[in-house]
Amino acid sequence: MNLTHLHLLLNHVPTVGSVIALAILLLSFIRRDQALKHAGLEVLFLIAILTLPVYISGAAAQREIRNRPEVSTTAVRVHQDAALAGFAMTEFAGFVAWIALWQSRRRGGEARGLVAATTVLLMLALALSGRAANLGGEIRHPEILADVTADPAAPALSHGEGSADDKQRFVAAAISSYMVNSRWAWPAAETVHFLGLSLSFGVLLAVNLRILGMLRQWTFADVHRLLPWGMLGFGANLITGMLFLIGQPGQYVQSTPFFWKVVFLMIAGANFLYLTVFTKAWTAKGLDANVVDKAMALTSLLAWLGVLLAGRMLPFLGNAF
Amino acid sequence: MGVLDWIETTRLAVWMQDSQSILAFPAVLTLHTTGMGLLVGASWMLDLRLLGINRNVPLSAYRWVFPVVALGLVVNLTTGVMLFFKNATTWGTSIPFLVKMCLVVASAATIVPMRSYVFHTGAEQSPSTNARLLAIVSILTWSGAVTAGRLLAYLAV
Repeated sequence: MNLTHLHLLLNHVPTVGSVIALAILLLSFIRRDQALKHAGLEVLFLIAILTLPVYISGAAAQREIRNRPEVSTTAVRVHQDAALAGFAMTEFAGFVAWIALWQSRRRGGEARGLVAATTVLLMLALALSGRAANLGGEIRHPEILADVTADPAAPALSHGEGSADDKQRFVAAAISSYMVNSRWAWPAAETVHFLGLSLSFGVLLAVNLRILGMLRQWTFADVHRLLPWGMLGFGANLITGMLFLIGQPGQYVQSTPFFWKVVFLMIAGANFLYLTVFTKAWTAKGLDANVVDKAMALTSLLAWLGVLLAGRMLPFLGNAF
Repeated sequence: MGVLDWIETTRLAVWMQDSQSILAFPAVLTLHTTGMGLLVGASWMLDLRLLGINRNVPLSAYRWVFPVVALGLVVNLTTGVMLFFKNATTWGTSIPFLVKMCLVVASAATIVPMRSYVFHTGAEQSPSTNARLLAIVSILTWSGAVTAGRLLAYLAV
């Protein structure tokens, strides 16, 4: 099995998952059910996490098939741009869902405006993911091939490496060209990546050390209030990380440490959701967490450490710079 | 033969330059990054508190920051010296490296007055203007140190 298999396995997650999350959210409006609303937001957050390996494995699949004569480079690039749009919108929707979850956990009430915004963003994400899925199908399923080649406005089919003016027609190609050719883009993105890392680490230390039984003067509400700062650092790193991936996919998609970095990210992301929504009422100081919560806190610290170690080892165990 | 040239001929420097082991340069660099996360991350948590984030947590509840910062400083001084040995002739004469050193010293220097402030201020007081200024300086100098350090990687090649 290679990463192309993984892409074919996972590529229905954004569309099918978004339909499920949307259905749960709409049902929660009809039934006026708070628990169901939270479930919809949580499912959406998990879908946003899982969409990351979908995009990454897609970049790997692109490299597997790009030199095959029967595969149109144009069709692949059209799919890639559509997938990038779907990915970005799904992440944005997942981010707003997270804010809604965080706020309702903190204030106890409903975050009505945020849930409405999440629902709209989710519909957009579903539309964009659906378009990406359809265009992805056209790469390998000639029976549904229609739009890309029949549209007179569409660029002519090309094969192989792709033409030099790809970067003027396709967003991902333009980003890649800029990241590689600009003297400052890559170093600047690396710098932001390290600043984001530091911010996330500070928050994760405070939150998880508290759950593990240190920082007894803090209530749970106190550490919970810090979570958005961790999310800010993570958001900066997701964006800059995607710039690296789009910039030089060949450095990452077949790299062993990158594979493990993404695995640790999945674990850490699910763990972050748990930290955001778990229902323990730590309103008083000095309360002790139970064994499960402590195990979750330890997992969180180890998973993020794993993300850092695997990421830092990319140039040495892989071929990234 | 200058001091910088001599440093690059020491056994430590040669090992850092030539060893193919994952425990040589890669492990030292990774430890340096991990130390940075502890050091800068923990410092920023205190800075944010002094600037009013999480203000209902008493300042005394932020004493945990100092052992973490101390650990990060020890790790990064050690690994930093090892990394310098590897590149002594390039970095020893480069402006970005000297800028980074100044920023690290400035950042670390803010820790001392902050520590005495946290240990001697009553729980109910809101941070003084000086403490806020110190927090702003700390955020900026640590950001500058991280930036300069990261950019060093593009200098030596």
